[in-house]
This record gives sequence, C-alpha cells and structure tokens, in this order.
Amino acid sequence: MSRAASLRALAARISSKLGEHGIRTVLCGGSCVAIYAAGKYVTRDFDFVLSSSYPDHDVAAALSEVGYRPDPSVSGAFTNPTEEMVVDIRPAPPSLGDEPIGEPAVLAAGRYKLVLLSPTDCVKDRLTHFFYYGDRQGREQAILVCLARRVNMREVGRWSRAEGQGSNFAEFRRELNRRRRAARE
Amino acid sequence: MVLVPLLGSPAKEAVLLYVLTHGEAYPSEVAAALRRALVVVQHQLSRLEDGGVVVSRLRGKVRLYQLNPRYPFRKELERLLWRALEFYPADERERLYTPRLRPRRAGKPVRYVEGR
Repeated sequence: MSRAASLRALAARISSKLGEHGIRTVLCGGSCVAIYAAGKYVTRDFDFVLSSSYPDHDVAAALSEVGYRPDPSVSGAFTNPTEEMVVDIRPAPPSLGDEPIGEPAVLAAGRYKLVLLSPTDCVKDRLTHFFYYGDRQGREQAILVCLARRVNMREVGRWSRAEGQGSNFAEFRRELNRRRRAARE
Repeated sequence: MVLVPLLGSPAKEAVLLYVLTHGEAYPSEVAAALRRALVVVQHQLSRLEDGGVVVSRLRGKVRLYQLNPRYPFRKELERLLWRALEFYPADERERLYTPRLRPRRAGKPVRYVEGR
C-alpha cells in the first residue's frame, strides 16, 4: 500500500471511529494535501476540525479505541505509539476565513469513510496561510492540489476577493499557470 | 468591564481588549499592564488559543499572541470589543488600551499612577 493510501486508510479509520461516537469532524490541513496530491507532499499530523462542541472526554474515549492517547504537552493533540501520525483535534466550526466550509468530500477506504475538505476548499484552506501569514508553503500546497485535482477556480477567486485578497489570489494564479506550463513542456 | 456576562470572566475581557488594541502582545507584558497575575493571563491566552480565537508565534524566547486572522468570527468579535471599549472610562481606555508607539529607553522604569 502506498504511503498516501495508508494515510487515507488511517484517517478514515479515525474519522469513522469519531463518527461512531457521534462526533462529527472534517479533516483539514496538510493531510488533505497529502491525500489529494498523493506522493507530492508529506505530513505528520491529521487536523480534524470538530463540526460542533463536544466534551473533551468523549473525543478522548473515541480516539482511545483506535489507540490514540492525549499528548499532555500539547492541547488537542493525540499520539499513538504504533503510528507516526499525530491527531490534532481543532475547535469548531470548520471555516475558511470568514466563511463556513462547503459540502465536504467523503472518501471510502475499505469499510471506513473519511470526511474531508473538498479539493476546492482544501485549496482555500492552504491559501489562508499564504494570505494571512505570507506562508509560501501554503501557496505551494494549494498549487499541488490544483495540479492533481479538479478545483473550482472561479469559486476560489470569489472567496479570495471576499477575503480582501484579490491581489494575492492573482499572484497565486500566475504561479499556478507558470507551473502548469512547465508541466506541459 | 462590560462584557463579563457574555465572556464569563473579567480577565478574559481585559486580555482580549489588550491583544486587540495592541495587535500583538506577550503574556508578561499583558500581565504587567493589566496588573494581573501572569498565570491568570497565560491561562486565558491558552484557553483562547485552544478555541482558535488567538494564535501565537515565538519571536526569540517570547511568545507573541494576536487575534487569529483565520477565526471565522474575528470581524464580529473585533466590532464587539471596539464597541465595548467605547463604554470604558476614558482614562482607563487611555491607560490600558492605547498602545504607546514612541520609543522607550531600555531599563527605564514604568510608573503606574494610582487612581488614574
């Protein structure tokens, strides 16, 4: 099994276990990039954003059934001695700047299901780091997803302008187009 | 303090207002300015960070906090806090929540005047 496939399988197992306990989450962050742009990006943590507020002990009980225990040194982090991936539970609501996320994607992995950001929302999520912190890695991750998946660029543009980031979006588009040309040559 | 029924804590209100008005702040700075115990300020900032309301980054050995630009209710929260500040006594607003922009020589003591 490829690294991306095993990552997806583990994320789906965790997502499903949380769901069995009535805890709705959406996988966000770099692990979505690792799944969508398989093999192009490596991550070491799963960022699960809660859809609502749930008691901490309910989340911990669900994660303990997949071998994850709270990391006492980092709030919201859970580790499993047999897995290199750290689970990071982030507070509700799942959002992209000022807006709620759109309809999440659902990927099957065996008998488990993984609820995660759609490719379009994954691009927005990565661009927030570029927009608000000037983080070039965020822009790079957004580009990797665009090169690997179908992304609604018109929607990303609308959202960027609503966030007041029209010029940064234009810069992102220029770089994406340059990379697409380079990939064709 | 005008938002305590909503926020549930005078310390949380004071810390949020300080971070809002100063843009970025570190815990011991906030504690000294607000004259609150450092542990109380650290606790509030930690809770706010866990909730995604503020974010922090290390600069040297100092952890700087700011309102989280990715927090979905940031604009509404800022509006509420600025509105709340209008109801503070002018002297308190000036003393606690107006950042000093002019330089201050290293080591020069900060004097707080009682009753101001």
